[in-house]
Parts: sequence; C-alpha cells; structure tokens
Amino acid sequence: MNRRTVPLLVLLASPALSAADTQFPSTGAWQFLRPQLYGARDIGEVGDQLMSIEAPASTPDPSATPIVLRFGPDLSGRVRQIRVIIDNNPSPVVTTMNLTRGVPVDEIDLRVRIDRFTSVRAIAETDDGHLEMRSTWVNASGGCSAPPGATQGGTLGEIRFRPTGERAMQISIRHPNNSGFQIDPRTGDSIPPHYISHIRLLAGGKAVMEADTGISFSENPTLRIGTSQPLGSPLTFEATDEPTQEHFSATWKSGADTSTR
Amino acid sequence: MDRALPWGALLAALLAAPQSAAAAGDRFNLTEVAPGNFVHLGRQLALDAPGHDDIANIGFVVGQRCVAVIDTGGSTRTGRALLGAIGQHTKKPICYVINTHVHVDHVLGNAVFVKDSVQFVGHEALPAALDRSRSLFLQSYSDDLDAPASGAQIVGPRIKVAADRDLELDLGARRLRLRAWPRAHTDCDLTVYDESTDTLWTGDLLFVRRTPAIDGSVKGWLSVLDELANLRPKHIVPGHGDVSRHLVQSIAPERHYFEALIANVRADLAQGKPLQEAIATADTSVSKDWLLWDVTHPHNVARVYQELEWE
Repeated sequence: MNRRTVPLLVLLASPALSAADTQFPSTGAWQFLRPQLYGARDIGEVGDQLMSIEAPASTPDPSATPIVLRFGPDLSGRVRQIRVIIDNNPSPVVTTMNLTRGVPVDEIDLRVRIDRFTSVRAIAETDDGHLEMRSTWVNASGGCSAPPGATQGGTLGEIRFRPTGERAMQISIRHPNNSGFQIDPRTGDSIPPHYISHIRLLAGGKAVMEADTGISFSENPTLRIGTSQPLGSPLTFEATDEPTQEHFSATWKSGADTSTR
Repeated sequence: MDRALPWGALLAALLAAPQSAAAAGDRFNLTEVAPGNFVHLGRQLALDAPGHDDIANIGFVVGQRCVAVIDTGGSTRTGRALLGAIGQHTKKPICYVINTHVHVDHVLGNAVFVKDSVQFVGHEALPAALDRSRSLFLQSYSDDLDAPASGAQIVGPRIKVAADRDLELDLGARRLRLRAWPRAHTDCDLTVYDESTDTLWTGDLLFVRRTPAIDGSVKGWLSVLDELANLRPKHIVPGHGDVSRHLVQSIAPERHYFEALIANVRADLAQGKPLQEAIATADTSVSKDWLLWDVTHPHNVARVYQELEWE
C-alpha cells in the first residue's frame, strides 16, 4: 500500500482519527518551525517498528525528563539526521544530530528540560531524503527555570562513560548547562546562559555522531546511544562550551575507563 | 465513692494519652500541641486533588507581646481560615509570618497576613525560590489566590535567615530559634524551635506517613536528619502528618526510605541502567504504605539518580 493513502483511510475511522491527532499534535511553535526547518517537504508518519519516541506522560522531574528514540532494523543505520523539538520550550530545538551512514544506531536517549505541557517530536531524515516524524505529549512545569541540582559544582567539563554491556553507552558531561532562565538562590540575580553547544562522538577514530545542542538539555548533559553492533573502541567524546568556546574531550577504551578532561 | 472512679479513670486516660495535644475548639480545628503552640493538621491529599489547598500543617505560636504564624497554607482561603482562628485564641497582634520553605501548600496564604506591623521571615534562599516559582504558581494555582490572581500576592520574606547563623525572634517571654538548613527537602528549608516549650516545627524536613518529596538533596537531607535527632525536642510538628513526641522514632521511616532509595539507585547506576529504566523499575524494600507513593516515588528516583551519578 502506498504510504500516502494511509491518512485517508484513517480519516474514515473516528477512533483512529483521535489516535492520529495525538500522533501529530500541532502547536504554534511547530507550525512556525516546520517551514523554517523543512520548507514544504513532506513529512511522513512511520510505525513503531521503524521509529518510536518515548517520554513520561507526566514527568517525574521537569528539569531532567528522559526521552528515548528507537529505530527499528529497517531504519537503523539509515538515518542521516535526527532533530528533537520540544514545541513549548523557550528554545524548542533540543538538538540537530547528524549520524554517520551505516552506523547501526538503534537507540538515542536524551535528558531534557521541559518547561510546560508540550508535544515532543523527533524528525528523522533518512539517507534517501525522506522525512519521518514521531511525537508524544509530556506534562511538566518549570523545567527551564528549575534551580541547579544537588550535584552542582565539580570539575567543569568532566566526562563520564557508563556502558551497559557492549551495545549501549551513556556519556555525561559535568556542566551547569544554564538555560538563562534560572535564578541564583543566594544573590537573586539571573544566571546567564552557559551551555554545551556542540558535541561529537568518534568510535575507532571515525565519526559516529555530531550534534548541535543547547539549553533544553538538562544540567550535566547526558546522551545514551545504543547500537545493534558494538561501536568500535576507543570512543572519543568532544564537547564545545558556549560562550567560552572551550573544548572538552575524553576517550574511553573497552576494558579501561579513562575519563579525562 | 463509686462516682469518683470514672473521673479518676478519665483523668488517668487523659494523662496517659500519647499526645498532650488538646483540640482548641475553634473553626479551623487547631490543636494546642504545647502551651501557646497551635497547629492545624493538613489533609493528606495530592497537590492537584480537590482540597489540595489545605494539605500542610500550619499554625502559630503566641508570646506575651505578639504572635508568629508558621506557614500559611495553600490558598488565601486557607490563610484566611487560619487568620480567623488566631483571632479566636488571642487578641495579641501578629508580628511575624514564617515560611518553612517555598512550596505552594505552605506559602499561598501569605497575602492574607500582609500589614505594616507584620514581618515575613524565611530562608535566605527563599526569595529566589519564590521568584522562579511565581509564574508556575500563577499558571497552576491561580484559583487559590484572591481574584484577580497576581504575583504580588506571593509574598517573600523581609527578614532572611542565613544558613550559618540561627536567628532568634522574641515574641515576648517566648523566643523562637530559626535555623536555615543546607539543601535537603528543598534549597530553602527552615525549622522553628520554641525554647520555652521545647517544640520543634520541622517544616517538610519531616513527613509523617506522606511520601517525602526530594527536591533538594537526599544526602543533604540525611545529614539534616542526624542534626535534628540531636535536638531532642519534646514536641514535634511535622510538615505533613501527625504531631509526635519522639523525634528519633518519627524520623526513622523517612531515614529508612532514603537509605533504601540510595542503595537501589546506586545498584542501578552500577548496572548501567538508564534513568528511564531506573524510574520504571526502582523500588525499595520500604513498604508502600507511604501515602502518594505512586506520584512521589518516581520523582525521588529521578532526583536521587542525578544526585548519585557523579559520585
């Protein structure tokens, strides 16, 4: 069946219509961003077996809400760009992530600030130029103005690798990732934006992923990447600080954790 | 003299009652937990349930000169009920309104008490906490303020208690000692200790039966519990749940829960469990007879996970 006929069929069945509504919630920010980012290009819908996005319907922590993107076997290795958008955040584009062709990424987890009730969407661009979107709703409040957490401080730019077996790696960087919407509890002054603006991941010397990031990432920005085949070793993670442009990087070798600044 | 017997038995029963607390017979169900210390017990409801504006324990302490209010409830309606009840017990003026921390259920009644002769008191970090909460309060709790709801009704402290030095408030022949704590339940927790009756108002550093919500630091909170245990007060007014006379005993369930939570999350981290799995699966050996567990426990797991992952 031609993919384009699906929405028509869906329109005929009203229970499915409401399902379609929740699949593509429309809000002002997205209506504004869509033409800016994608022009008039078609954006398709895909089923869970190709791509899914998961987030808690009501987040236990608005300043650190886990978002999980999964790619099925037919899409894994074929996504060249993935963009995550939180419609109602002050800075809606969470990240624009470019993936290297052929790297079999099947999961990407992010941890984000969510300011208020919003749809969260992921748009994938495949290697043949198609755009596919998935979205979900999250209820939250105040994630962007929440005060720094209990772990504030430490060494700015310290990077930690936390593997789960051979097929998933969580990488965190110690950084306030201040949104610019927070207030210093001691002085009452607003805290200026200070965040990680760019990240890069290399495996065995080859780029796996490169992304623009921003203030919708939580304090101590964290990325988890899962693959159907082990990524090569060593893994190198690099991050750029905004506004200082300082670079942080660390390398991990299987068997020995060498977290360095 | 068989008629004397029931009276004697009644007196004995009164003396043996676990609480010296006596219902104070006013419209707001205040209880005098210790001489001059009146508390209204909030209901154990969720923050979005009907009746959510009256869930915290709030009250007041009467000195020879004046009255100090301790927390004002989750709405101007609740604040007004407290204000009315104070008038039923004393003609002395209110001189202080103390907020134990930033949460809605403790501060939204503040506006009702605004007067030139009343000074608001809080942790030095409370003003910033209120500033960042104001828009959220207006967005989610505007019905709990007087119409039209305004940010100005969310009144912050004029007198700020520094983290490193206790502040004493003199109510006339009664001194209150206020202590501002490091990050624990929130980043602006304050306790009030009435020296003359040995009564400690813990604010939300002590939850009784209600699942404690960790917005500050679980490790910080555990060390605060250690310090509180050293105070050995005779009367304890928790932020939520029944008053008590045994601090160490009342603290025990909270401590047990935090320790189990820490152990569980550490194990998750050691296994490389991501945050969302830790939230979905983390449980503790602590029984679920904590109230509001389903809402509060996942939040706590998320907070503790982030606190411990940089150890």
